[in-house]
Amino acid sequence: MLNQDRQRQFVSLMAERGWDMLLFYADQWRKDQFRCLVNVNFQGPQAVAVLFRSGEVRVIVTDPWDQEPVGAAVNGNVALSLSLTEGLKALFAGERAAVVAVNGLEQMEARYVEVVRAAIGSVPESATLDVEEIRRVKTPREIEWIKQAADLADRGYQQFVKVCHPGMTEFELVAEVESFVKANGAEDNFMLVGSGGTEVTGMKPPTARQFAPGDSVTTELTPQINGYYAQICRTLVIGEPSAKQLQAYSIFAEAQQAAQDLLRPGVDISDVARVQNDVFRQHGFGEYTGPQYTRVRGHNLGLYPDEFPHVLENIHYTVKPNMVIIAHPNTYLPLSGYMVFGDTLLVTETGCVSLSKTEKRLFQS
Amino acid sequence: MKRGLIVWDRAELPSEAFAARLSAMDQLCTTYEVPAVVVYTDVCRSNDVRYVSNFMPYWNRALTVVPRGERPVLLCSLSPRVYPWIKSVTVHETIVPSPSLPTALKKLCEERGWGRVGVVDRDGLPWELYSQLGDLVNIPHSAFRPAVTDAEIEMHRRGAQLARRLVETELTAGGSDFELTGRLERALRRAGAEDLVVLVSDGRSPPRSAYGAKVGPESSVSIALEYNGHWVKLARNLSGMTASLGSARRELLSGRYPWEGLQSGDVSARGQVVAIQVAIPRGDSTLYHGDTGFEGPNGWQLL
Repeated sequence: MLNQDRQRQFVSLMAERGWDMLLFYADQWRKDQFRCLVNVNFQGPQAVAVLFRSGEVRVIVTDPWDQEPVGAAVNGNVALSLSLTEGLKALFAGERAAVVAVNGLEQMEARYVEVVRAAIGSVPESATLDVEEIRRVKTPREIEWIKQAADLADRGYQQFVKVCHPGMTEFELVAEVESFVKANGAEDNFMLVGSGGTEVTGMKPPTARQFAPGDSVTTELTPQINGYYAQICRTLVIGEPSAKQLQAYSIFAEAQQAAQDLLRPGVDISDVARVQNDVFRQHGFGEYTGPQYTRVRGHNLGLYPDEFPHVLENIHYTVKPNMVIIAHPNTYLPLSGYMVFGDTLLVTETGCVSLSKTEKRLFQS
Repeated sequence: MKRGLIVWDRAELPSEAFAARLSAMDQLCTTYEVPAVVVYTDVCRSNDVRYVSNFMPYWNRALTVVPRGERPVLLCSLSPRVYPWIKSVTVHETIVPSPSLPTALKKLCEERGWGRVGVVDRDGLPWELYSQLGDLVNIPHSAFRPAVTDAEIEMHRRGAQLARRLVETELTAGGSDFELTGRLERALRRAGAEDLVVLVSDGRSPPRSAYGAKVGPESSVSIALEYNGHWVKLARNLSGMTASLGSARRELLSGRYPWEGLQSGDVSARGQVVAIQVAIPRGDSTLYHGDTGFEGPNGWQLL
């Protein structure tokens, strides 16, 4: 479908910036750069949507099977070109002297940028940051989809707990959870796992490692509904948790709660990171809040599972209503190894609400 | 998105296969008069670096740099916390943390005293890298991977056989396309699929992501499966209808992307792995059938 709310916002942006054409370039990795305007899960190597100041939208797809669903979203205004180079040449054949910007320019293959440059006489401007800023605040319809995704993340985690058992491998667990979320409507799912003890320093794709009693089994589970992701992070212990695992969990829970208590419009996102890190510092684990042990203390969510701003003490951004952010103080601690804990939070006018309903506890299998 | 089992099974793909590929990279250095060859990779364009070193970035971008006569260096945007895992599934022994890939490559060039280095398919670099990396020698993709090797063909064959066996087992009528997708995810990922894309047709429109349609006799499923870095595609329908795969929609599976459409005249004289998918009209419906094969001078042969 065409996201008409965004279409209006992007047309306004174009007028403000003086752009005649705004291209939304996406490959298979960054489909979000296209789907923020034309929300269709295309299958070809690339797709490009073109927005004109009039509001007209045209699309180039590179897979014949994309023509029908994309065409339905843009009133048939879709062209198939197995070669995007040829598709862009055809698009620009009558568009000389236009001022062109590209959302996703940074990821656009140079050969395609050169086609645009040849047509308009200069490298197109990047619209990525402007579009990101618009996308950061979700529309009511987008929030509904993220709520559905958060609900599925909760149910997916229930399945995770239900099927996880000693002797199972990481990849078998992922297969079970992936199967569950897909059978229940997920379009995609971003998921990493980790398992083991204090030797574990992070999460990664699943391996053939078998779960053993005492293991911490970590996951960030991120199902996608109609393009939009929600995420949940929880840790499960195989068997009885040790005193140190429980101690570690209490620190993570306290840190996540601190973020949730602080998050509201007007807050600097760096403070959302700081209050989480302060909890670790207060418990004597401040050194484990740095890049050697952790990546981010959360991030924005939407059509991409790792949207900016990242929640870090050196990132400054003023939080706005209707942003959707996961606060997750995931890091390594010598008490437990790598541990994760986080909820998807919707920023309201006065604070935030958690869209994740999964109990806040250290799970057991 | 990658979230299945990523392994390097040395019985399937021995170290010698990578040694031969790295040796060929040395030859490229000589041919193009460069001290090193750079290969780009990201989440969805991992085929080329996978070919060189078996590295697959489950997230983010990376560059593999193959200096002439030396082991490859991985410039990697992922956290050093996952480097032990990367080393366990790739030939990489040296991994350089690289929050900025252009900065890391320039630094490496300075340290080694290199002038211009070669890059495979320079114009395929993301603009962000292309515009910052400056003067690079382009090495055409066709020079880098001139023909699919026997080892690759065998990996594609294994993937195709796995996909055929499980899809034909799981493809039953009843339930929704979501449920069918879930069954396939479970079966194929438990069997070791690294990545999987399932599309379903209800007979009225081409295969697409599940949307809640009922699976019935007019339904078809099309899957793309990545097996240890090698993609296969196939399509089957509930009616069990088949068709000649001689002339239909063709997609290259052994190129830069997981798959990309081929024009009718795009035939490699030296061989490539190609998926063929056929639309079969039946009454008001269209069924789909397709598979993966090796396409060479003698035509297309099922793998």
